[in-house]
Amino acid sequence: MLDLDDELMERYQKGDEGAFTLLVRRHQQPLINFIARFINDRDNAEDLAQETFIRMFKAAHRYKPGRAQFKTWMYHIAKNLCKNEIRNRERRDKYRVDNVVNSGSEGHNDTEEIDLIANAPANPAFQPEVELERKELRNALQKAIAELPEQYRLPLVLRDLQGLSYDEISEVLELRSGTTKSRINRARLMLKDKLKPFI
Amino acid sequence: MNCQQAEEHFSAHFEDTLDYQTLQGFEEHLAACEACQQEYDRFQESVKAVQQLPQIEPSPYFMPTLLQRISEERSEIKGIKGTTATGWKQLVDVFRRPVWAFSGILALILAVTGTYLYQDGFLFDRDADSTVVTPASQKVQVATSPVVTRRAVGDGSQRLPGDVTRPSVRPLQQHYILKQVSYTNASTRGGL
Repeated sequence: MLDLDDELMERYQKGDEGAFTLLVRRHQQPLINFIARFINDRDNAEDLAQETFIRMFKAAHRYKPGRAQFKTWMYHIAKNLCKNEIRNRERRDKYRVDNVVNSGSEGHNDTEEIDLIANAPANPAFQPEVELERKELRNALQKAIAELPEQYRLPLVLRDLQGLSYDEISEVLELRSGTTKSRINRARLMLKDKLKPFI
Repeated sequence: MNCQQAEEHFSAHFEDTLDYQTLQGFEEHLAACEACQQEYDRFQESVKAVQQLPQIEPSPYFMPTLLQRISEERSEIKGIKGTTATGWKQLVDVFRRPVWAFSGILALILAVTGTYLYQDGFLFDRDADSTVVTPASQKVQVATSPVVTRRAVGDGSQRLPGDVTRPSVRPLQQHYILKQVSYTNASTRGGL
């Protein structure tokens, strides 16, 4: 039995052009989240997500429902684009942590925090220190993830942020299941050490 | 189980995927090793913290921009599929492919070279057509040009400029002429 993604792809292949738009709507947020966390750059994340969807759109007629999962196919394309982006960035020597996802670029966190502060008297549960701590931890987490070597960062993001199964991650990364598991464990251990001052 | 082995099972224990025997060994080690217990606690906390990171929302421009791009791609694909090239356009389209373009140019060069050589008499000896076999009473007249006369004698050692292809043609022609002559002579003797 086909899952919803495969069903939508099949409908698109049969001429229902709206089906692809639905697929994009379903996956846009996880994809942007994955790219932004992986390359640590929110602005570029949207460009790369668009490029991923465009590539999928162009190759949609070759997609065989049931053979590979739409989700793993999407992450596979995105992963390759991200790797190219990182390589280009390193080559240009412009890799900085300026435009990082943390420090207010996570969605609309700044505005959310301003709202929280503005509504503080009306919100008895609001504790500025706790909020600041949380924000500090989030920034530290994002920094720690960004500092992980690529081969560990990628499976960690796919597992702990995107919620993919080990089999799906193995498919995306073209790794054996055992390798995927040990890399994820290693990545988590590295992260634990990096977060020592905060946890 | 030692500390290093226990560390290797942190994720599996966190995700509850250890088999019974390993689970027992792991928990026994953690109960006995305070350092590993602390490390495992921190491990769990850090994994949970990562998993609780907020999802990054797409900007409001993401979807409209993407849909616009998809629409452009779609019309481009339709444009390519829908175009029915005719006449010159079709021909031009064919020659857009490098292989076809190369083949076309090669064919053109061969055609021009062939025509040029033919006109200059390099490829085919047009004078050979003028070989006339006369009745036995007359001598075989072979062409008018000195080149052909020399050939009839069978002298291949001297070549005139441009007489490149002749060696391959000459023996056949010579044979043909001789055969014709002998035939004519024989038939004449027969009383014609």
